[in-house]
Amino acid sequence: MIVVKELTKKYSGEIVLNIPSLTIAKGESFGLVGNNGAGKTTFFRLVLDLIRASSGSVFSGEVTVSRNETWKQYTGSYLDEGFLIDFLTPEEYFQFVARINGLTQGDITEFYDRFRDFFNDEIVAKKKLIRDLSKGNQKKVGIAAALMKEPQVLVLDEPFNSLDPTSQIRLKLLLNELNTNGETTMLISSHDLKHVTEVCDRIVILDKGLIVKDIFKSENTLKEVEDYFYTQIYRQTTS
Amino acid sequence: MFRIFVRHQWKEALRSTIWHKNVAANIFIGFLFLLMIFYLLLIGILIDRILADVYPGRNPAEMFNGFLLLYFLADLVIRFYLQQVSAFHISSYLHLPIRRRTIVHYVELKTVLSIFNIIPFFIVIPFAFIVVGRQYAPLDAWIYLITIFLMVMVNNFLATYLKRQLSSRPRIVAAAGLAVVGLILLNYFGILSISGFSSLVFGYLLIHPQLVAIPAAILFAVYAVHYYFLKKRLYPEEIETRKRQKMDSISEIRYLKGLGITGEIMALEMKLMWRNKRPKTTIYLFPLFILYGLFFYPQEIYMNQGTGLLIFVGVFMSGGMMLNYLNYAFGWESNYFDALLTSRIDMERYIRVKFINSLIISTLCFIITIPYVFFGWRILFINFVTFLYNIGFLSFVLLYMATFNKKRIDLSRASAFNYQGIGASNWLAMLPAFLFPPLVYWPFQAIGLPYVGFMVIGVIGLIGLSLHRVFLQMIRSQFEKRRYIMAEGFRVR
Repeated sequence: MIVVKELTKKYSGEIVLNIPSLTIAKGESFGLVGNNGAGKTTFFRLVLDLIRASSGSVFSGEVTVSRNETWKQYTGSYLDEGFLIDFLTPEEYFQFVARINGLTQGDITEFYDRFRDFFNDEIVAKKKLIRDLSKGNQKKVGIAAALMKEPQVLVLDEPFNSLDPTSQIRLKLLLNELNTNGETTMLISSHDLKHVTEVCDRIVILDKGLIVKDIFKSENTLKEVEDYFYTQIYRQTTS
Repeated sequence: MFRIFVRHQWKEALRSTIWHKNVAANIFIGFLFLLMIFYLLLIGILIDRILADVYPGRNPAEMFNGFLLLYFLADLVIRFYLQQVSAFHISSYLHLPIRRRTIVHYVELKTVLSIFNIIPFFIVIPFAFIVVGRQYAPLDAWIYLITIFLMVMVNNFLATYLKRQLSSRPRIVAAAGLAVVGLILLNYFGILSISGFSSLVFGYLLIHPQLVAIPAAILFAVYAVHYYFLKKRLYPEEIETRKRQKMDSISEIRYLKGLGITGEIMALEMKLMWRNKRPKTTIYLFPLFILYGLFFYPQEIYMNQGTGLLIFVGVFMSGGMMLNYLNYAFGWESNYFDALLTSRIDMERYIRVKFINSLIISTLCFIITIPYVFFGWRILFINFVTFLYNIGFLSFVLLYMATFNKKRIDLSRASAFNYQGIGASNWLAMLPAFLFPPLVYWPFQAIGLPYVGFMVIGVIGLIGLSLHRVFLQMIRSQFEKRRYIMAEGFRVR
């Protein structure tokens, strides 16, 4: 579904991301892990054509994301608050997203049903603007809006961050459900190793812009990922 | 403690991203500023001669005193609209062991550095020493200066207090503003002599210097009221007046819904303008543009000889608001630009909406200025051709230029004198925008065909309108070229 070829991104001469080749299959749930500055968000921005690649390209389906816009029709994404229109109420925002995606009023009702538990009565009908919501609730709005059109490709940057425990579990269930249906290709980054290994079939670890590990899910994925970071620390303290 | 605050603020100002990237605009602003100081000083030095010329045979000091009270009234209104109340981030200090009253005094005193407190002295200081000092004793010049300083401070603390107190109640503000304008008009028509009163009061002061205690007492009172007002509301949620917004009914506009996605984007922009402080205060500047003609039309000299200037006025009245909107056509949406780019919204449609909005804004401004026909049909004609020029030519140029603006706009700050988010491209856009039509006109005036000159300006606009598809296509491809750069700039907080 997503194919990366010879992709690099430089900022003032310094390479911050360098992925010679990466293929994410249709329906795969792809987890991206790495320390701050590893290039996770940069990679997602390149996938969403929000920054210009220094070289190489990202293909979504058959098309290069930077040349053709058709991928926007089936891609849902939420990276940061920059994706929210903060002077709208959540309802207005959902309405807006629904309209530009050509969803009907019926679809919207269904959407609210589906996300009722996730919203936990804190989002809808509160007569609050998005900018007046807490960080966690803002995130919920963004994630729900990304999921609204039932995207074939879903890109979420640290979705568990700043959600409360209940919402984290609910989100995990939602994503797992999407995963079992096998229709959605998910790209998710996280600092929470436990969550991300539970949701994703495949974990890729980025370090300073390079893919240093590519693990397909097994029983001890979590252990393997944790071990990687522990060895990093050992290496630093011994050297 | 104050020293630390000042140092922090200094750093904040210096490290603001505006300065780093924007040398051209900084130089330009600096230049304008120096020019203004120069003119003000010149006025201050020459004012007794100016007054003696305009009102021969009268005492310049008396005349000047007559203006003072009116000035302070007008100053109060202008400050209310334009003076910034502190952008000091109290919340970063409240949890530290700093006495509350230190913070409050700082927040209040910080307003003293406003440019509004400095400008009058460029005129008053030379006046006090040249005129007052000569007519009375040198000591009187000092007393005079101190009195005016005290009054300026009274205005400063009063205006900022009122602003903090009332900014959420625009109706009261508008009423107060109208009252002051009314007083000035009453004075102008000689029904109520404020200038006489003012002249009397300040004249009396020069004879009895001990009366300086009165403005000092007023200042103290105003400062104290402001101080206790702030002290009571030192909780960030109260002082930052981010009150929960009353819901408006823009979302209910049926007509826009009928327009499909185009309508949806337009409704979004209306909410953007109405629910955020920066664009909203820009809307408040609307009367300033509309009333601009009143500065010129009543004066014979402009009506007879300054046709080029009248053209400029026409462009300004129907184009000023449009310029404000289009300069940041994309910048307004810097907060969620990434969302737009990843959304399914077709960028061609998106750009067309921007154009349609500027059409609406400009048309509205033109319609409101139609009553200026009172000053002659020629005025209406000039305003009409410049309106055509604005919508058919200027709009495309500005929209094109807007793609060069990659500064994030902080929607929550007020707009007047707020250069945050202004790039060099904005300044560049303004010059040709206003200079071009008079330049087109002058050759025709020179050969004695002024009306042909007007019509050429209008025809330029009409041609532009008929080619709007071509122009919008050009802007579209320009947008495609610039969007990564814009998006990157907008992400910088």
